[in-house]
Amino acid sequence: MSISLTENLDRIQVSAASFAEEFLEPIAADLDKSGNFPRALVAELARQQLLALPVVKQAGMAAHVDTLRIMSQSCPAVASIVNNHALVAYAIFKWGDEKLKNDHLAQLAQGETLGALAIHESGPALGLGPDALIGVIAGGKITLNGKKTFVRNAGVADVYVGFASAGAAGATSAVGFVAAASAPGISVGPTYQTMGLRGCPVADVTFKNVVLDAGLLGTVADGADMLAELSSAYALGEAAQTIGIGKIAAIHASAAARHRIQFGHPIADLQAVQQLLAEMATDAHLAWLGVLNAAQLADAGTPFTVEAAMVKSFLGRFGQKLLIDAVQVEGGMGICETAPPHFKGTLPLARLFRDIAGTTLCDAPDDFPEGLIATSF
Amino acid sequence: MNLITEEQATIQQAAKEFTAKHIIPNAAEYDRSGKFHAFLLEAAKSSRIFGMAIPKSFGGLEYSPLTQALVLEEWGYGCCGMATTLAASVLSMESVMLAGTDAQKKQFYTPMLNGKIGAFCLTEPTAGSDVGGGKTTAEKTADGYTLHGSKCWITNGGIAEVFTIFAKTDPKAGMKGISAFIVERSTPGFTVGDEENKLGLRSSNTVFLHLDNVKIPASALLGKEGEGMKIAMQTLDLARPAIAALAIGLAERALGLCVAHINDRFPARPFPGQALQFKLADMRIQIEAARQLLHHMMALREAGKPFSQESAMSKTYATDVAINVAATAMRLMGSAGYVSEVGKLMRDVKVMQIYEGTNQIQRLVVARAVLARPKAAAPAEKAMAK
Repeated sequence: MSISLTENLDRIQVSAASFAEEFLEPIAADLDKSGNFPRALVAELARQQLLALPVVKQAGMAAHVDTLRIMSQSCPAVASIVNNHALVAYAIFKWGDEKLKNDHLAQLAQGETLGALAIHESGPALGLGPDALIGVIAGGKITLNGKKTFVRNAGVADVYVGFASAGAAGATSAVGFVAAASAPGISVGPTYQTMGLRGCPVADVTFKNVVLDAGLLGTVADGADMLAELSSAYALGEAAQTIGIGKIAAIHASAAARHRIQFGHPIADLQAVQQLLAEMATDAHLAWLGVLNAAQLADAGTPFTVEAAMVKSFLGRFGQKLLIDAVQVEGGMGICETAPPHFKGTLPLARLFRDIAGTTLCDAPDDFPEGLIATSF
Repeated sequence: MNLITEEQATIQQAAKEFTAKHIIPNAAEYDRSGKFHAFLLEAAKSSRIFGMAIPKSFGGLEYSPLTQALVLEEWGYGCCGMATTLAASVLSMESVMLAGTDAQKKQFYTPMLNGKIGAFCLTEPTAGSDVGGGKTTAEKTADGYTLHGSKCWITNGGIAEVFTIFAKTDPKAGMKGISAFIVERSTPGFTVGDEENKLGLRSSNTVFLHLDNVKIPASALLGKEGEGMKIAMQTLDLARPAIAALAIGLAERALGLCVAHINDRFPARPFPGQALQFKLADMRIQIEAARQLLHHMMALREAGKPFSQESAMSKTYATDVAINVAATAMRLMGSAGYVSEVGKLMRDVKVMQIYEGTNQIQRLVVARAVLARPKAAAPAEKAMAK
């Protein structure tokens, strides 16, 4: 039980829940099977005004993460699509000039264009790998060369928001940019087969002599801070997904435990099972308070990167465990991808087990949220 | 570094080569299709490796428990789906080894030594952790027994030639009414249901079995009537370390893939930070501890000492370690892990905390031993103490 947030948030929550029930619940299993990008859903998400919540005045980051949490209870893959897309809008809204805002924000919110974040590289840290993306600014133009790895929404996106090392490999300053997917020199590699979150395509994006006449986000001096903030917002979205997945998994596990009779009683009566269920609920609940707190800080215009790092650190330890334990309680049925003939009911836990692994990853070896936390006080 | 004999090292090396040649290159394909890997049985036929637990007097290799663990670790490193097929076949033999007559042993071992496999059938829809809750019955007839009921989650059920099946000869007697039988696949009334579509171990065959008026001769009974529960529990004591060995192999693989990835990303400098280093060190420590627990347990077994509690500890610890190591490897590798074979390891490892007795049941076994009160001293000793 949580106290009511704001009227707007409550309204958005209701809208997200009905969207999830009507549009996500029925397709989640098929989307997982096919892995095909669900393009038709994007228009529906736009119609329900759920695509760019972080930049909507009456909504914001708290509404965005709450929506992701709710959607993830039905279909975490779609929540991944939305998180990546919405944060493209967030970056342009926060750091873009008027022209960028005019060119992109309305289209992104209406789902006429789809956004993708190109923020990861294959090296030990940003700008240090052999394929590091380098951005050179000269004569008012940005020239990009290099590669971004594991870009979500890659291939289906119309707009990329990315960060490149300024001038040379290993530079500490970063060029934040907005680039149309159609810009000459941008190419998308083959879509990876992922174990979960299927339907949200993942691929590498290569930039070869890509010249942008405009599209600089903020300033080069602020680039690293912008990237840190964007990554924090992204982490909050993933945390909300993790919590949504964990919560619905706990509900399934608890129902299974009440129905499963062994030794003459429902296994839900056993302390060992109650312990697992209680830890799931507790970890998800406490993590959610952290997410909400960080999102509200963001909405208040206050720094929230440390709080986001705390959430990431917490779920790094307890995120995957939510599903390891939920499947444990459900037992053999928990590892079934489709229900055996003798089983009545639905079995999403195997899918959610695969999905949650994708929302609790460290995407770079230098992704060390604890470092930020430890030096913050 | 392990203290193993030269002979064990040779066998271990052969298992490594077998795994590298036959298991690893085919694991991904069979994981995708979920099909049974019949080629593996063919490949192993000449070496009689699937008869590694069978006594020499019956034509087997009679490997010591520790030697068997070394082989299973290698198979687990390669693919726990394929390895489960093999390990479950060994499991089905253990009951015969424990309670069978020479004639029954011959009946069971002969197909095994010819590249066929077996299945162990204990679990039922109403009897998972609660083994006594089963409804399958064995009705005594003039010349044998008639089996009725169903069995679920039967590994190898769809492909095995010989089965050990547990059924109640005295349904009113609960656990004491269970008996064990050898049943051949060709017996009328024995039908195999649909294959389960599983998260992991996808190439391992898992099915529902229906037993409808299955008539078997009196000679199919293993041990005596009512000894089924004892046989099942002793069989699982012997089988749990096999799961531990597979889990240890899987964890080794996960750590290896993670390290290879990190080495790729850190060509020379900067060296990975302590946060990463320590996580890798923890993974190494856990795997090594799990391995030593298993090897110690196997040494106890070899020495003829009690090992039931150690068997429970070994299975629980190794499978908990394996899922933790796989999950950590995945997390540290990030998206690269998410699209790699570490994903398969994550999917494969989960059920290991569940099957062959959930880790919760193992903890009950260990807790019971921990809480056992010391036996009251004999009166004479008490008197002397005064």
